[in-house]
Formats: sequence, C-alpha cells, structure tokens
Amino acid sequence: MIWLVMILTGLINFIFRISMFSGFRNIHLPPSFHRYVSYVPSSVLSAIIASSLVTYNGHEFSYDVEKLAAAFIAVACALITKSVSATLIVGLITLWLV
Amino acid sequence: MLPFLLGVVPFGLVFGVLGISSGLTETETILMSSIVFAGASQVVFAQLWAAGSAYFVIGSSVALINLRHVLYSASVAEYLKKLSFKWRIILGYLLTDETFAVSIKRLSAHGESKPVHFFMLGSGLTLWLAWQISTIVGVIAGSIIPENWELAFAIPLTFIAVVVPMLKNAPTIICALTSGLIAVFGQSLPWKTWIIVAALGGILIGALIEKWTSSK
Repeated sequence: MIWLVMILTGLINFIFRISMFSGFRNIHLPPSFHRYVSYVPSSVLSAIIASSLVTYNGHEFSYDVEKLAAAFIAVACALITKSVSATLIVGLITLWLV
Repeated sequence: MLPFLLGVVPFGLVFGVLGISSGLTETETILMSSIVFAGASQVVFAQLWAAGSAYFVIGSSVALINLRHVLYSASVAEYLKKLSFKWRIILGYLLTDETFAVSIKRLSAHGESKPVHFFMLGSGLTLWLAWQISTIVGVIAGSIIPENWELAFAIPLTFIAVVVPMLKNAPTIICALTSGLIAVFGQSLPWKTWIIVAALGGILIGALIEKWTSSK
C-alpha cells in the first residue's frame, strides 16, 4: 500500500511542477492564489513543530521539558544564524545535555 | 551553487534517518527521495505514515505542502514553453525551491540572452544527486544510530530552522500561532486530520489578515 500512496503523491507533485508549462492546457491562476500559497509553508511546518512539542488529549497536556528547552534554544539559534545545520546541531546538543 | 546544497544535505540526512525510524524499509525510504522528491513533504509523509494516518490525510498534506510548485511553474513557464516535451518533462520533475530560486535569479540578471533551461537542468541534477546521496547516508546512519539519541527530534528542529526566518510580519506570525494552537488542541480529531485542519486554519487566517491590512 505504501508504494501506491507514494507513487500517487509523487505523481501529484509532478503534475504541480509541470502544470504551467505542460503544453496541454493554458491554466490561469486566480490572483488570490499566490496570497494563500505563500502561507502554506509557515502554516504546515508550525503545526508539525507545535504538535511535536505539546499535545492536548482533551484532559491534560503532555510535553517534555527537555524538548521545550531544546526548541527554545533552536529558535534563538535560527534567529541568529539562519542556518539549518547550526540550528539542528545546537538543538540536538541542547536536548542531550538538558 | 554551494550554499543551496548546504540547506539540502542536512534535510536529506534527517529524512533518511527518519524514514528508518518511522518503520519504512531502506528501499522505501531511498526510493521515496526519487519518487516524491520534495524535502519537507517527504518528512511529513514518513511522520504521518508512522502515526498510522489515513491515506487521504497523507496525500492531501503532501499535496498542500507542494502546491507552491504551481507558482514556480507559472514563473518559469514562458521560458520553457517552446522546449520539446522531453525537456519539459525532465525540467518539471526537477523543479524545486532551490532550482527555482537560482534560475529566477539568473533570469533577472541575464534575461533570456543565455538559455535558462541548461542552467535549470544542471542545478536540478546537482540538487537531485545531493538529495539522493544524503538520503542514502541518512538511511545508513539511521540503522546504526541508537534510538536514545532521539534523532526524530531533528524534524521539528529542522522545521524551526526553516520557519523562524519566515516570521517577519504580523500575518505570518499569526498564521503560525493559529496553526500551532490547532495542532496542539486538535490531536483527538479523527484520522489525524489535525494536520490538515491546522494547516488550512493558519493559511486562511494569514491570507485574510494580509488582505484586510493591505486594503486599509
């Protein structure tokens, strides 16, 4: 089953990428499309970050203080360095040390 | 060329490690990097797969994350429309954030005086190769590194590194906060749909706030 899901999502990706120069059809994007799409990365990634730090099951919150600390340091590191590698390394080291 | 690989290689490593720890086989993880070939969405795919999410949730999350490629496709379309079908298929497959960024930069510097498709092919193939190699190295590392190193936490860390520099204006910050809050409180939604609900909630809020503030 994973192969089917993988191939289908790969196909969707390919169709998106070639969509505007496929030569089959001229598609016109609505002007607001750009505005909505520009919020996709920050929205999706924030959802994943938040859910990996804190979750609420209807009765109580569950979280790890170590992970919260590491995430906090990583945010600071990302602000200062803007580097993926540096943020990743500093965040992991914080998690191991705390 | 080099700086753009610096962002890709750690991501590929993280994906390789995560693929294995999510329960995908080595073959599945490695081939996903050529079949799906889109960084953040592969990571999300593996994570949702490991969590036992419904297939439509996985598919629509990946599609949503990659919707931006339609915009890239539109921006380069006028330079590629005249190419043969074979060329367009290859360049379509290779179109990524990084390849798009360097190609647009070059187009704005040189215009069409130098054909951009060779440049796209070269940068696209370099990136593709770096992505495949770093995935394979990640897969090898993933099967060696002990679990108590908590490398799965590399995902949120990598995403923090990507998102934090984006938070430069009020609509984007509110979008991120909204989506984050929905993700935290929506965990008990059926079929793990929290990811879609959170993503759409954040996108809607961000876009609407941008519209309201800019029309004043």
